[in-house]
Amino acid sequence: MEGTAVAVCEILKYLIIHWRCETARISKGALLEGELVISIEALNSKHQANTLHCVTTTVNILKRVASAGSIFGGLVLKKILKEIQSILPGLSAELSWTSEETSYSQDVSGVTPFQMIFEVHEKPRTLMTDSLVIKNFLRKVITVLPKIRFNFSVKVNGILSMEIFGAENEPTLNLSNGIALVVNHQHYVSTPKFGATELLCSRIHPVLGHPVMLFIPDDVAKMGLLGELILTPAAALCPCPKVFSNQLNRISSASIFLYGPSGLPLILLNPEQPTSTIFKDTSYFINWKKHHLCMVPNLDFNLDRDLVLPDVSYQVESSEGDQTQNMDPQGQTLLLFLFVDFHSGFPVQKMELWGVHTLLTTHLSAILTESHSVVQDSIQVAVDQALEQHHHAVKAHQKLQASLSVAVNSIMSIMTGSTSSSFRKTCLQTLQAADTQEFGTKLHKSFHEITQNRFLHHCSREVKQLLPEKNNAEQSTEDAHENSSLELLAGTSGQVENKSLKRGSLRQGVEETRAFRSPRALNPSEAALGRAEPTAAPLTPSRNRTGPRSGLEDALWLQEISNLSEWLSPGSAS
Amino acid sequence: MAFAPRGPEASFFQVLDQHRASLLAALRKGGGEPAGGGTRLATSSEVLAAIENVIQDIITSLARNEAPAFTIDNRSSWENIKFEDSVGLHMVSHCTTRKIKSDSPKSVKTFALILKILSMIYKLVQSNTYATKRDIYYTDSQLFGNQTVVDNIINDISCMLKVPRRSLHILSTSKGLIAGDLRYIEEDGTKVNCACATAVAVPSNIQGIQNLITDAKFLLIVEKDATFQRLLDDSFCTKMSPCIMVTGKGAPDLNTRLLVKKLWDTFHIPIFTLVDADPHGIEIMCIYKYGSMAMSFEAHNLTVPAIRWLGLLPSDIKRLNIPKGTLIPLTKQDQMKLDSVLKRPYITCQPFWRKEMEIMADSKMKAEIQALTFLSSDYLSRVYLPNKLKFGGWI
Repeated sequence: MEGTAVAVCEILKYLIIHWRCETARISKGALLEGELVISIEALNSKHQANTLHCVTTTVNILKRVASAGSIFGGLVLKKILKEIQSILPGLSAELSWTSEETSYSQDVSGVTPFQMIFEVHEKPRTLMTDSLVIKNFLRKVITVLPKIRFNFSVKVNGILSMEIFGAENEPTLNLSNGIALVVNHQHYVSTPKFGATELLCSRIHPVLGHPVMLFIPDDVAKMGLLGELILTPAAALCPCPKVFSNQLNRISSASIFLYGPSGLPLILLNPEQPTSTIFKDTSYFINWKKHHLCMVPNLDFNLDRDLVLPDVSYQVESSEGDQTQNMDPQGQTLLLFLFVDFHSGFPVQKMELWGVHTLLTTHLSAILTESHSVVQDSIQVAVDQALEQHHHAVKAHQKLQASLSVAVNSIMSIMTGSTSSSFRKTCLQTLQAADTQEFGTKLHKSFHEITQNRFLHHCSREVKQLLPEKNNAEQSTEDAHENSSLELLAGTSGQVENKSLKRGSLRQGVEETRAFRSPRALNPSEAALGRAEPTAAPLTPSRNRTGPRSGLEDALWLQEISNLSEWLSPGSAS
Repeated sequence: MAFAPRGPEASFFQVLDQHRASLLAALRKGGGEPAGGGTRLATSSEVLAAIENVIQDIITSLARNEAPAFTIDNRSSWENIKFEDSVGLHMVSHCTTRKIKSDSPKSVKTFALILKILSMIYKLVQSNTYATKRDIYYTDSQLFGNQTVVDNIINDISCMLKVPRRSLHILSTSKGLIAGDLRYIEEDGTKVNCACATAVAVPSNIQGIQNLITDAKFLLIVEKDATFQRLLDDSFCTKMSPCIMVTGKGAPDLNTRLLVKKLWDTFHIPIFTLVDADPHGIEIMCIYKYGSMAMSFEAHNLTVPAIRWLGLLPSDIKRLNIPKGTLIPLTKQDQMKLDSVLKRPYITCQPFWRKEMEIMADSKMKAEIQALTFLSSDYLSRVYLPNKLKFGGWI
């Protein structure tokens, strides 16, 4: 993989790091806000056959931190350009910049837009892959930097495709050091998989593990890493285990996401090497056996999905003895986020942070191997807690089903045994049932629905009881471990129940060419001939505004889990 | 004489007869028995209709997409209980309630179990058969978990439907015993004569017993089975004939209480209690007389406020010079229970009882009835009780 994808991602990483360092000097831990526009315009090369001349422009509209002045003044921009050129030595294209104000800044005050442009020549298939890689990178960034919006467009021989990536108003979980994890499950699993009627809680509920300091191998430390690397895992089940569906009574897969300092992805997904070496051994960091799970690497690597693709993907291997269990392939996914942060005791400089990031991306396996024991312990705690939620939810669901079954059977016993025809008739009429069999079915269904609604109400009521939104991004690693310090930013009440919740990534407007559906399905001639519709008008991005908004102590979620334990205690009748 | 006369002379019972007369006068003055509130005997069809109404309410809620819930009176809350000296402890008319919801993880199991037991009651009433609470539990012990769950739910259903447990065709297991001058016919036609050497078990179906016949001058409620057996061995019922003795073997079960109430309602004979001079015994006595918190919703069918405390009084300990070595220090639990009983609303209208309890509290000592055996082995039946009965030594 080369060219556009690497360049775009590196540039974006650099800009975000720069942005982070500048912002941290004024407001440590504040979430970055702003918009970056990436557009790729490709035309058939006049000099090479089957090659596109691609001009990539990144327009950076950055929100000024209050009273900070412009982050990107003229001299600064020149310096940035030089630095970017130095970090992309392999990029043969010319990198230039302008600092003209554009129309993008109309709705954002106090911003200094500038843009960088570079040109490459690529095969159409490569461009398509690059686009998918870039999109996945953007999705990963917005899930931890939700206030950054990316406007990504690709125009190939006049055919425009544009997407906006953002999660500004979505519920998040604040982590330390200015990053926040988006907890809307639709970023991680596709909703149609579970059906519109089945899934009523749209969030994941991450459990943080202990932050641990990573041991750095000598050879890595010699490269000039002066400071500490802290790993904080977060595990969550997706979708929410509280609201149960018959399809969700088992864990079917696990996804691991790796983030470095400043919330930047550590791994750029590469179809040629889907899984990082260290994670090929599924049990290297996680003891799955204690949860009666057998995980194998998932080698299905498809970039063309509207989800945040994990850096590592496992799937549960079904055994022959599982015939009696529900072998529905859907099930729940365990999400594991590994956040690596850097602390040096001093305000971190940009190039230092860039260097740390580079070290992490190139020596991640070595660092994690060196720290195997502590990493394993920390991850295991988070995974155990997350899976414990699942076990609790399963048992609670079983207990609920058993209770409802008793209730239904008792009612049926009275109804069918009654000698009062008026009573029986009234019962049938009330539920609009033709006979006792239908009555029984409707009775069971009614009970099932009201209990599901109750759990949903519980989810949304937690939101209503939220504390006011806090800007408490400055959390010590100990506080990050303590659940009471977690904050859940959420929108206004009721919205979370909307089953038509839209994701942060909107695909609007112009019909995409079939060329961009799948990297394998590209028909260069189609793209070249431009058989799809011509360019559409510039689109106004519509924001993704669902979700309640107020502050929530995540302890409420944990309290709910502890309440579920009442299902399990004997004599728990009130 | 061909036969030795049984029991003492008629003059022996003079004070008792006067006491009975005063009780009857008080009853007439009070307008007879207090009107039954809270629970009443219900016919089978009424019980079935009540259960069907409950089911209809549930189905209506479901049709409205609302979670059905039972509204249950808080039987075990003092705020819902008041005291009347003619009734004892009984539930207030507008009491606080709690909801047993079908959509709450905490209560859905209870909701289901209530329905389960309702369906079982429905079948019992329909088929005119009876079962004990224990029987109910054993139909599915794994589902119910423990007997207490079943007991509480049955009481809640009785309270919710406003019908006594016996109308639900659920019987409590009797553990009490009767002896003395009493005859009756059980529901199944069995003739029972309690005037035999050994005692008779309190029947399970008090409501069903008929043709109660007695000439008893008094009814003696004995706290402990050991004391009861001792009195039987001493032929107390013969020596004090005509009389009736009952024991609940400690805290009385529902049927024993129902029997005592039935005997009072039928014959209006003086009823006395013979309990240990300790807080536990006093509390047991209060249960017979004023009722319990748990069963306050059925107080009108269970309590006999006319009961008098015959012995062992704390003042008897000093009066009879019972050896101090036979006394037992009050434990911490005893102290707490004594304090609790002293605070109960009915003690305020029993100044003599209060005084006795204060004597106990001051001495910090308690005594069992068996302490009297240190005076002589048959002191209880030969001296203590006869003197108490003859000379009105009750409070």
